[in-house]
Amino acid sequence: MKEPLFGAFDGAKPDEHYVGPIQRIDAPMRHYPRGEAVDFVVVGVGSAGGVLIQRLAKAGFSVVGLEAGPFWDTERDWVSDEAGSHGLYWNDLRIIGGSDPLALGANNSGKGVGGGSVHWAGFTPRLHPSDFRVRSDDGVAVDWPISYDDLKPYYELMEREIPVAGPTYYPWGDPHGYSYAPHPLGGVSQTLVRGCTRLGIPVVAGGPVAINSGSHGSRPHCIYRGFCIQGCKVGAKQSTLVSHVPDAIRHGAELRDKCMVARINLGKDGRVTGVTYYDEHGQEQEQRASVVIVSGYAIETPRLLLNSACPGFEQGLANSSGTLGKYLMAQIGNVVFGRFDDLVRMYKAPPANALTEEFYETDPRNDFVRGYAIQTVGPLPISFAQHMMVAQGAWGWGLRRTMMDYNHWSALGVLGEILPWEDNTVTLADVRDGFGLPVARVTFNLHENDHKIAQAGVQKTEEIMRAAGATEVTQEPRYAHLVGGARMGADASDSVVNSFGRTWDIPNLYVCDGSILPTQGSANPGLTIQALAARTADYLISERENAAAPTAATRIPVRYSLSPSEVAGRGMPRLKSRRPTTFGAGALGPGSRG
Amino acid sequence: MKTHDTRSQSSQSSQSGQSGQASQMSQQGDAERIGGVEVERLPRDPRTGQALAPRMQPGYYPGFSTLSQQSFWDEATRAVVLKRVNQPPPITFFDADEARVMQTVCDRVLPQDDRAPDRRIPILNTIDERLASGRINGYRYADMPPDPQAYRLAIKGIEAIAQSMGATTFTELNLRQQDLTLKSLHDGHPIAGDEYWRQMNARRFWLMLVSDCAGAYYAHPWAWDEIGFGGPAYPRGYMRLRDGQPEPWEKVEHRYEWEAPPESLSDTMESLSDTPEASSFTPGTH
Ligand SMILES: Cc1cc2nc3c(=O)[nH]c(=O)nc-3n(C[C@H](O)[C@H](O)[C@H](O)COP(=O)(O)OP(=O)(O)OC[C@H]3O[C@@H](n4cnc5c(N)ncnc54)[C@H](O)[C@@H]3O)c2cc1C
Ligand code: SF4
Repeated sequence: MKEPLFGAFDGAKPDEHYVGPIQRIDAPMRHYPRGEAVDFVVVGVGSAGGVLIQRLAKAGFSVVGLEAGPFWDTERDWVSDEAGSHGLYWNDLRIIGGSDPLALGANNSGKGVGGGSVHWAGFTPRLHPSDFRVRSDDGVAVDWPISYDDLKPYYELMEREIPVAGPTYYPWGDPHGYSYAPHPLGGVSQTLVRGCTRLGIPVVAGGPVAINSGSHGSRPHCIYRGFCIQGCKVGAKQSTLVSHVPDAIRHGAELRDKCMVARINLGKDGRVTGVTYYDEHGQEQEQRASVVIVSGYAIETPRLLLNSACPGFEQGLANSSGTLGKYLMAQIGNVVFGRFDDLVRMYKAPPANALTEEFYETDPRNDFVRGYAIQTVGPLPISFAQHMMVAQGAWGWGLRRTMMDYNHWSALGVLGEILPWEDNTVTLADVRDGFGLPVARVTFNLHENDHKIAQAGVQKTEEIMRAAGATEVTQEPRYAHLVGGARMGADASDSVVNSFGRTWDIPNLYVCDGSILPTQGSANPGLTIQALAARTADYLISERENAAAPTAATRIPVRYSLSPSEVAGRGMPRLKSRRPTTFGAGALGPGSRG
Repeated sequence: MKTHDTRSQSSQSSQSGQSGQASQMSQQGDAERIGGVEVERLPRDPRTGQALAPRMQPGYYPGFSTLSQQSFWDEATRAVVLKRVNQPPPITFFDADEARVMQTVCDRVLPQDDRAPDRRIPILNTIDERLASGRINGYRYADMPPDPQAYRLAIKGIEAIAQSMGATTFTELNLRQQDLTLKSLHDGHPIAGDEYWRQMNARRFWLMLVSDCAGAYYAHPWAWDEIGFGGPAYPRGYMRLRDGQPEPWEKVEHRYEWEAPPESLSDTMESLSDTPEASSFTPGTH
């Protein structure tokens, strides 16, 4: 057997905590005395929670993050293997129903520090300006209480911190560029680019993705091994575990893993006092805090608030509007498969690589509003077999035959907007988990506009697949990305939180994660979730500094100084925007001049 | 949970890949065999109609071996994959009768008769281990019982179908009848056993079963060799990303023609994408 170039690979080291092969958690973690109140307790250290604790800690506050899953040591815990990565997901029971039940588990949420950002594919498109006003423009759903321009500086900030690699010119929505070079194309990206080009459809390749194309701090660049949704052991793909958690710990945040928060406690004065949780030994504990922020994902966040019902809030904490758990959204995620005479080998290169947003916006020629994006995906063998069991109805010898042709197949994902509907909900089931807490029941029904988008998206993607040269094309219906369930709004009567995530009902209770999205566009939600988290952090910090008039703030300064240190000096190409931005100051943060 | 002595059963499976065992046991010993496998179970050469002898490594990448690359894998991955190859978990969830039926079911859902008997991939053990450990995929349909119960119900339902065809048990049916039984689950209309299938959605069970079988088979490095998948790739990574090119240690494709055994029904595919259960067990993508 040949010896590896650099000798046998070392692997995990005793007494050292690695996140990626080079990056070590290099500071001892602070431990706040039990029983002592802290400034902030954050429930769930995932996409949003990771960004949040980093900022609050760096601003000098005492922060405790309680995370239901483990604090991964990536060398020890993660494997370059599909079946061996089962433990990355939230596998605890949830009940699903409705006319179009949503498969969860590996298809939806993470459990462990980093949350869903551990196993996301890493597509990081921004929302379009039109996404913030679909009620005004299209007469459906609701407008956001903020505009694209309010979020734009945070998009730019997060694109540097993640950092996002992509083209210098990204043509859709508010056109912009990326500071890290786009990635090389793999076989699936070649399919999308070839098909789109033959049909005259604009397409970008190599990003935007949350994957390093050059080293960043102590994170190496991508090695194109294609295991992104099994967790990137390389540390090239961002998760908040590798991008923000190390800095959070350096600045004194305490992270308690394997701690499941059971309820939020309400004091007599109408403010929350902290949370009750089960620690890793199953012991009930209490953590008091001046502010509680729930960042548990679009299912667990409503579940926790519903499970925290108490006198005065019989229908769930912060639910005076009755909208908690409602307006849950998923995105249409149909995958179109094409078989080519030539080999593709779709397991190489990050599955998230190329996309087109040419069909994203409302088009008056359609019989539906809003639209869809088309993106590369790259299922590994087990996933591909499971897709084909539906798409082709393959089993037995047919499945063996299709799988022997694995290397001839390419796969493209539709990502379509589903509007928020009141009957798509998270409620409590009559089944309990190991802690005796009622589990979530997720009910999902597609409506007419959603069906039409799915149909149009599949049709267009099949057309592209054929134009690329596929001789056989098939598709599988599915969904991706749950958001909503504790939506933000301008009015306390039809939303749970305001645009900063503060619950209307309880001044020191916040929600900060995907559940606050009122609509979702056809962009993968991860970047938006992290951008909103940075904005909520800025608000919390301003509010604290400005204790005299806490609720008055609507415009708050963007705190560029809170970025992790490796971000300093990293630039962002400045394009002349077609649209004037009302947030001129945001464009000139210290990090953006690079 | 039932615990019974299955040590002999599980050690058999770990030595020789258990798939062949049950298949051989279910038939009389006088059938014609090639390479230890009854001829009627073997895929054919479409030009000659001759049965193709079982191979050490079916598929179009002869000589490709992911395991030969293991010194390039990281330690944690190597440990997980080698354990999968060398120590299939023992059967503890299914009792002996259930295991016998399920073994034959797995042999039809993911047939391995084209594999040399000692190169078969244990599937039932992996499913059994999942059910024994209570591991689920994070959700349950409102119209489905918990997974372990669903499997037990399905075994009863499958036995009821076998009895409606005049056999005492599924393993006694001929290949065609076994496939007909399973195809009726695929179609969502089980042939018999209403009292069991009424308690759950048969097609959802089918999708869980195929998912579980595929999850066990395509997790195995021998299956990766068969389909030309590069396997674990950290810390080395890939360098030849375009045009389906192989890495220096991967192999080019050498195709051969084959047909499923004539008695089998599973090589004709009917898409389930338009059925209400279509997105039941879908993996994550983007
Ligand atoms: C296969 C796959 C691919 C994806 N690809 C993309 C992509 O390419 N681009 C993209 O933008 N998005 C993608 N996503 C979606 C993305 O991962 C999620 O939208 C995002 O992570 C959600 O962030 P969050 O902060 O809302 O929740 P999470 O990141 O899920 O964080 C929630 C955390 O809270 C913890 N928690 C929950 N309840 C409790 C409790 N009671 N006590 C303590 N802790 C608790 C959880 O364990 C978890 O760690 C993908 C998802 C999947 C499944
Ligand atoms: S392809 Fe790149 S980003 Fe994805 S897992 Fe491999 S190294 Fe990480």
